[in-house]
Amino acid sequence: MNVQVVGCSHHGASIAVRERLAFGPEQTSEALGKWRDAFSDVEGVLLSTCNRTEIYAASQSAPIPSLEEIGGFLARFHQLDAREIVPHLFVNSDEAAVRHLFGVAASLDSMVLGEPQILSQVKRAYQAATEREVTGPLLHMAFQAAIRVARRVTVETAIHQHRVSIPSVAVAEFARQIFERFDDKETLVVGAGEMAEETLRYLRDEGVRRITVVNRSFERACDLAREWQARARPWEELHAALVEADLVISTTGSDKHVVAIEDFRPVRAARRERPLFILDLAVPRDFDPAISDHAEVYLYSIDDLQAACRNNRVLRDKELPQALRIVDQETRRFMAEMYHRATGPVIQQLREGWHKLKEDELRRLMNRLPNLDERARAEIPQSFDRLVNKLLHPPLESLRDESHEGVPHGLLDALARLFRLRD
Amino acid sequence: MFSRVQIFCFLASYTVALVLEASRLWFRSGIRGAVMLGFVVAGWIAHTLYLYNSAIAAAAAGQSPLSSNQDWLLLAAWVMVMIYFYLACYHPATHFGIFLLPLTLGLVAAAHLADSKPVAREPATKIWGMIHGASILLGTVSVLIGFAAGLMYLEQADRLKRKRQPFLKLKLPSLEWLQTVNGRTMLASMLLVGVAVASGIVLKLLSSGQDSPKVPWSDPVIFGTIAMFGWLLLHVIIGVFYRPIRQGRKVAYLTLVSFIFLVALVIMFVSGKHGETAANALHALPDPARSAFQPDSTRQARWGSFPRKGGLA
Repeated sequence: MNVQVVGCSHHGASIAVRERLAFGPEQTSEALGKWRDAFSDVEGVLLSTCNRTEIYAASQSAPIPSLEEIGGFLARFHQLDAREIVPHLFVNSDEAAVRHLFGVAASLDSMVLGEPQILSQVKRAYQAATEREVTGPLLHMAFQAAIRVARRVTVETAIHQHRVSIPSVAVAEFARQIFERFDDKETLVVGAGEMAEETLRYLRDEGVRRITVVNRSFERACDLAREWQARARPWEELHAALVEADLVISTTGSDKHVVAIEDFRPVRAARRERPLFILDLAVPRDFDPAISDHAEVYLYSIDDLQAACRNNRVLRDKELPQALRIVDQETRRFMAEMYHRATGPVIQQLREGWHKLKEDELRRLMNRLPNLDERARAEIPQSFDRLVNKLLHPPLESLRDESHEGVPHGLLDALARLFRLRD
Repeated sequence: MFSRVQIFCFLASYTVALVLEASRLWFRSGIRGAVMLGFVVAGWIAHTLYLYNSAIAAAAAGQSPLSSNQDWLLLAAWVMVMIYFYLACYHPATHFGIFLLPLTLGLVAAAHLADSKPVAREPATKIWGMIHGASILLGTVSVLIGFAAGLMYLEQADRLKRKRQPFLKLKLPSLEWLQTVNGRTMLASMLLVGVAVASGIVLKLLSSGQDSPKVPWSDPVIFGTIAMFGWLLLHVIIGVFYRPIRQGRKVAYLTLVSFIFLVALVIMFVSGKHGETAANALHALPDPARSAFQPDSTRQARWGSFPRKGGLA
């Protein structure tokens, strides 16, 4: 079997290199077309994400392009010098390539272990290659198995459950535990830090639509509001905005509390004890911690979230060995299937040859015994069939057993010589 | 073959499902969910067959089917299992069973202790009895669901306030979802218990003026049900004017109080003679009214060979 992966990832290539080799969706489609022109007998799938660009190549008979050839292909597409690119590329073949694909799909090779987006990216890459008719039986099998492995890792381990970045923990582990839906919630952003923007991105994925920005500089608030399709309000209306809000993300650079407990009391009275989720991502904190004493207020500081991230990292690391075991198990199973496929032609010849012998002998016997009754005429062919199947069973089982360790060339050769099978 | 189904069959199935549900807190497994639902479905089928057999036996003996205290408790448990099955299928990651299955098992256990004498006969005249019983049954389910949601709310809210990891791997719905369920079950409980009280009054009026045993107003079950209705009504009325009582921990605590009322009522129901007295009260009435609550003292004798008498054996 010939399967190979050539590419670069966050493990060995800097972001500068990855950016130069990245493919957008349209470029991917174009590149697959060019792949088909350049390597017509070789199946290909191009996977490009922010952390990796990889080309999976496979062929049952034709030689697989070398690292230099694929490096040259990538360089030509991006109009780069191949000599600059090739040193940053890695190559894995056969079992290592399959293991790599399974690990990537299961998010065990991701920068953030267990991040869920990679599986959909793998599916999209496979779908794009299938649409451009660049895939064939080998990569179909490999990618479908990879998707199955990823699902198995998801079901049998908790590796995807534990978020490790502060915004994702804030949203997945806390906000989603408080609110069932977000499209009817009012989100208030106080200040404008990078972390607020990232958190907002996660919240948008969850369905947040109504966003209000309050900033000391109203102009800056307006700029952000335009960028996020939000509404800007002047700083003086912070307390009024707090009354309306369901979620608050605060990231001002203030050196004292922006909302003290005394300020919050009238806000609370006006809110009529509606639940309020506050993510205080500022250091020093924007919200007086005493506000958290109110039963309906869920206030999280950056320290709380970091502690949750640390816990999750430990929990996730505990799940990694089990996930790797699944990948290893599935890789061995997949390779055994692939090796066994290689024995297909010999098995087919063996079956056909023995069944032909059976048919000849049966015909001869029936001619010699013309007076047999109907029951005997039905019973004898069945008996011959059973005999042939029983004779075939041991060599086929031996072939299957030997296929676990690789293509059983020795056994295939012996069978071919013993039974005079032709190539 | 199906006539040999006993309470133990589905009690055991639900117990296994509960054990499997609890094991989710410790370790993960690819096939456990299917096995767990398999046990729930198997138990539910046995449960259904048991109720079916009970109804057939009652009909054969000239009784109203599914009208004993035991039947009503088993029907409430049957509805609870359906609700659990729905939730387990649509929210497979959430541990509803930890809260709902023990309540179901409690109902089945209470049913085992409850009287199996029928309360009503002659279907043509039992409409008020049916309304009374059905509203009590659904009200019971509503209070139990509210109680489970209340417990889940308090655990979830406490975890989020303390910023702690879930207990073991317990996964619960969001606070918003739980609060909605709490609010709706409180309203539904009030309406259903209200219907039960109203239909009970109608039944009492039907039996008045007759020279027969009557259900006294001081019957603890009547007193308890009216008190529970008053409590639920008061909560709904206050909630109209004071919104905070309908949200957060407050509504969760209120569902717990409703559950305490319910437990007290079930104990009185199981240990008392409410249904029997009601039936006796109508015994002397002219048809059609009296037949709604007339017990058949021969029913148990006729069930001598029926497996349900074996109960938990």
